[in-house]
Amino acid sequence: MKPIGKLLNVALSLIGVTVVWWLVATSGLISQELFPTPHAVFIAALELYEDGILFSDLAVSLGRAAVGFLIGASLGILVGLLTARTRLFAYALGPFLNLLRPIPAIALVPVAIVWFGIGEGSKYFVIAYTVFLAVWLNTHHGTAHVALTYIRAARSLGARRTREFFEVIIPAAAPHIVVGLRLGAALAFLSLVAAELSGASAGIGFRLQDARDYVRTDRMFVGLIELGILGALLDQFFVVVGNKLVHWEQM
Amino acid sequence: MTDPSRIAEPSRGPGRVEMEGLTITFKLPGGETLDAVKDVDLALEPGSFTALIGPSGCGKSTILNAIAGFVEISGGTIRIDRETVTGINPEVGVVFQQYALFPWFTAIGNVEFALKRLRLPKAERRDRAIEALREVGLEDRARTFPGQLSGGMKQRVALARTFASEPKVLLMDEPFGALDAQTRVSMQELLLRVWDMHRATVLFVTHDVDEALLLSDWAHVMSAGPGRIVESIDVDTPRPRKVDEVTEDFLDNRNRIMRLLRPDETGGGAEA
Repeated sequence: MKPIGKLLNVALSLIGVTVVWWLVATSGLISQELFPTPHAVFIAALELYEDGILFSDLAVSLGRAAVGFLIGASLGILVGLLTARTRLFAYALGPFLNLLRPIPAIALVPVAIVWFGIGEGSKYFVIAYTVFLAVWLNTHHGTAHVALTYIRAARSLGARRTREFFEVIIPAAAPHIVVGLRLGAALAFLSLVAAELSGASAGIGFRLQDARDYVRTDRMFVGLIELGILGALLDQFFVVVGNKLVHWEQM
Repeated sequence: MTDPSRIAEPSRGPGRVEMEGLTITFKLPGGETLDAVKDVDLALEPGSFTALIGPSGCGKSTILNAIAGFVEISGGTIRIDRETVTGINPEVGVVFQQYALFPWFTAIGNVEFALKRLRLPKAERRDRAIEALREVGLEDRARTFPGQLSGGMKQRVALARTFASEPKVLLMDEPFGALDAQTRVSMQELLLRVWDMHRATVLFVTHDVDEALLLSDWAHVMSAGPGRIVESIDVDTPRPRKVDEVTEDFLDNRNRIMRLLRPDETGGGAEA
């Protein structure tokens, strides 16, 4: 599909869903207290904007996601390269990391709060943890499974270990690393909300929780839509940057 | 066993490959073993062009991989200029069927990758890379990534990359196997032309009889189960050769090899 066609597709689909949403909300089958109309949600968003909360929440949440993502992603790439290419790290860390994988980020929130308090530290920790695992797994997989022909070609062309690593193994693994980063970014949002639901005083997750206490479903919808838009934009960002970075393998 | 007078241009330069009693055994998943190559004696004279021909699974690629240092041998020896092969060696160039170009480097980047081991000044490295691409007629595609090149062009870049680092021995594993018939013919002519400039010792694995007879000084026919050489044919068609030139010798040799490749008539392939 051409970019214009794609944009049109997104617009039409969203308009369609909004119409159905509006029909359901005004049908009288469900109380509008529980299921607000699109209009009510728009007003709630405007209200949050005028109070200056909308963008300050956004900034706080994005900041947390970014810091957690950067820490988790850099560690994930580093450890992934190590466990894939060095026996010591593969044997020492591989089994442990595979044991960590099934532990969901939410389960770590209480531990994080005890360790780092209710400040920013615990949020960074939970987000970084989730991102780390996704990025590590993909980096490890991509780096461990570099096509044998590339390695053979590089060595018979006289490349030594360092050159083989930087000019062959890393580029060959790059498409997998980018996939890991993209997945990690999506998971960063997931764990961000988990971390903000308890022990926060700002951020999209906190605002959702705060709205629950006042049964403001309209405000909750604003938060959900924000998360949706942010996530989709971020994902597109990774697709575009990823395709530029690993231009020989389109996502 | 190779008669030096047969070599198109007698060369005393380096690049002599000798295999004695070469045996390569693979362990199968069930714990059984398979003799991919058994007791092969073969010598490649410096600067000669040798073809290894045979059906799939006869061990011809395995021999090539052993000389390249990609697989461990189970018995016998391989020596290049009297030195036993113990691993991958940049003096031995390899051209792969699937090109093995690095898609993240441009055509010239791929060639320069090979030249880096020579530690030349940057400008000289660049010049030599362009020169190598010119030899295969691709200097105007220097900045193109392999993904934007056709199969034939990719293999030309791969040839340029391998020849640029001046290997003594050049191993080619069905390099034109993935190309269409027309591209294949022009690649064969190109290979002969470029080889004539560099004169490395070439071992060329193929299952195409015409290709073997067109290119080589010697054509060794292999049979499977276990992989061994069943016949060695001295191809004395004078050089330079032309693709469209069919001599009587060519047809005789062709018929001889065709008979050998029919498994039930060699007796060797029947057990496989």
